[in-house]
Amino acid sequence: MKTARILLVDDEVAFANNIAKLISKRGFEVKTVYDGESAIRAMDEIDFDVVVLDLKMPGLDGLSTLKLIKTKKPEVEVIILTGHGSMESGIDGIEMGAFDFIMKPVRFDDLHEKIREAFQRKLVQEELEENDRLTDAFMRKMD
Amino acid sequence: MKEVKSPNGEKPREKHYSRLYRKFVLLTLISSLVPLLLVGWGIYIYYSNFSRDRMNIYFQGQVESHRKIIELFLSERTHDLQLIGQTHSLDYLQKESNLRKVFSVINRQGQYFTDLGVIGEQGRHLAYIGPYNLMDKDYSQTFWFKELMKKGIFISDMFLGFRNDPHFIIALLGFEGERPWILRASINTEYLRSLVENVKIGNTGEAYLVNQTGIFQTSPRSSGKIMGSSPLPVSLFKEDSGVRIMGRDGDQSRWPLSRQIVAYAWLKEPHWLLIVKQDYSEALRDVNHANQATLIFLHLSLLGIIIITAVITRTMIKIIQKRDRESDQLNKQLMQAGKLASLGELSAGVAHEINNPLAIILTENQVIRDSLEEVPGLDEAFRRELMESLSQIDTQIQRCTLITHNLLRFSRRTKSIIEMVDLNAFLKEVTQLMDGRARGMGVQFLMDLEKDLQPILSDPSQLQQVFLNLITNAIDAHEGRPSGTIRISTRTDLQKQGVEIVVADTGSGIPAHNLERIFDPFFTTKPVGKGTGLGLSISYSIIKKLEGEISVQSEMAKGTRFTLFLPFRPLTDSRRNGPEALGQTSFQDFRKEAKK
Repeated sequence: MKTARILLVDDEVAFANNIAKLISKRGFEVKTVYDGESAIRAMDEIDFDVVVLDLKMPGLDGLSTLKLIKTKKPEVEVIILTGHGSMESGIDGIEMGAFDFIMKPVRFDDLHEKIREAFQRKLVQEELEENDRLTDAFMRKMD
Repeated sequence: MKEVKSPNGEKPREKHYSRLYRKFVLLTLISSLVPLLLVGWGIYIYYSNFSRDRMNIYFQGQVESHRKIIELFLSERTHDLQLIGQTHSLDYLQKESNLRKVFSVINRQGQYFTDLGVIGEQGRHLAYIGPYNLMDKDYSQTFWFKELMKKGIFISDMFLGFRNDPHFIIALLGFEGERPWILRASINTEYLRSLVENVKIGNTGEAYLVNQTGIFQTSPRSSGKIMGSSPLPVSLFKEDSGVRIMGRDGDQSRWPLSRQIVAYAWLKEPHWLLIVKQDYSEALRDVNHANQATLIFLHLSLLGIIIITAVITRTMIKIIQKRDRESDQLNKQLMQAGKLASLGELSAGVAHEINNPLAIILTENQVIRDSLEEVPGLDEAFRRELMESLSQIDTQIQRCTLITHNLLRFSRRTKSIIEMVDLNAFLKEVTQLMDGRARGMGVQFLMDLEKDLQPILSDPSQLQQVFLNLITNAIDAHEGRPSGTIRISTRTDLQKQGVEIVVADTGSGIPAHNLERIFDPFFTTKPVGKGTGLGLSISYSIIKKLEGEISVQSEMAKGTRFTLFLPFRPLTDSRRNGPEALGQTSFQDFRKEAKK
């Protein structure tokens, strides 16, 4: 099975590193960046499956980053990490195409579960697209 | 915003009110009294002038008509004599019997003449009819004899003459060939005097005649005797006729008597002055009465206006004071609201800041757990103990999370949004907020909540305010008591399609006379500075706005019981469109809704 590639975006360095450590132990490929701009650059280099995105960051904030990610690679699933005070922003994120949002502080198990769900969806999505592609090709051949 | 409730602030406020009071009163009085006084005085002056004019005209009329009467009388008597002189010869008249006949003819209509005589050129009577013995008198040296010789006809002033009695005469000159003779009659003085002296005006009015030298020709009723000298200098009256007011401010220096109105007219022949006069005060008595009444009315009106102004202004100031007090209270309330809002912001900030380290601790916890798995050959007891500690850390962090989330929720509740509310969960949350305070007072919450209560559509932030108010009051009602309970119960009311909530305490209770006022704004029994008196009135208006009902029962020393009713769905469903409006108070449900 394909290894999930995760991009972790959080300005809280200790938190991001811990999560990265934990996630990689569970068999994911993880890259950690600490701001929105770096996240966008990383997106250009690697095809990530899931992005875990903090909303409150200096510089490019979470929602703007989300917007850019979704324009560049709409197929990437994004999980938003947010504090309770900015729950509305989390909802805005979902409206902008995020997979889900999780409130900080979060138990790692919950986050892990959420990442797996997102990755699963990504896989299903890819499979569907592949099927569509094959069907299209088949149809063209028939014609 | 100015806080004026402090004892130091009270005095300037009081001063301000009394200044305001004085200003209002002064302005009102000026604006109402000045026109009133102007009109009052105007009427007074106009009316006085008007009545003085009327009086002048009246007196003028009196004096004119009497002058005419007297002049007519004198000219008639003169004519009588002229007729005799021209129609009879001296020879005829010299005979006493003839003269008597003539005398009786001219006196037929009235006793106008006292006597009648024919006098020769030497100045002695040729014949005489009358009551006096004047046959031997020599008139050739008298003043009238000389005047008559010059003028041919003469009317004398009053004089005493040989008879030593005031009288006046009409004499005319006739000629028998070249020989002059004189027809002379003295007029009935009484008759003339009756013509003049009988003029009566009020108590002080009188009429009289004076000659050119100021000698009374008739007797005035009060101010002198016939042939006496008049205190009024004749030189004052130069015009043919007129009316003058003498005395005081008029011609004071030459008028020693009381103030009088004097009408005068000069007769043509003899040149006598007819005077009709009356005390000014009596003449103007009615006018003065009327004016007095006007003035009394005016001053009563003034008094009335002053009193009314004072009363109205006092009432007004009281109203202003009340309004000020209310606005002070509202300001206080506003400050309170502001405080709450900033408190909300602050707590949100704090919660947010704490959430980040909590998140890190949680992940560190996980890191340790993970690492522990990888350590081989660890003592099983030690591993178990460590794991227990780690899960205890986890539990405590969850507890912290609950607190920060509650704080965040509190700060979020400043917005007014209609959403689904699970009343049981909601009431638990509110009592949790107040639990510390209640325990401090020895008060316990008893929750008697109906299972599977249907959620209602309402505004949780406003409901929170209501229940916080009710519970705060309930806790305060236990002051001075060692312990007590606050029972909160919910019950579905299917008939009314809503939920009934009861908040019942075991506090001191509310006296009956206060019970009907507790929902009034600014009504409070708490000490100054403790309560604004707005809590229950706001609660009442909130419940009404949410289409609910609120009522209260209380028994002294037993406790108070608030019964609330909230409908499942308000008729005016003002739910906002958007994910939040669909959400429920529990976050998990909310997220599910949002995902849809």
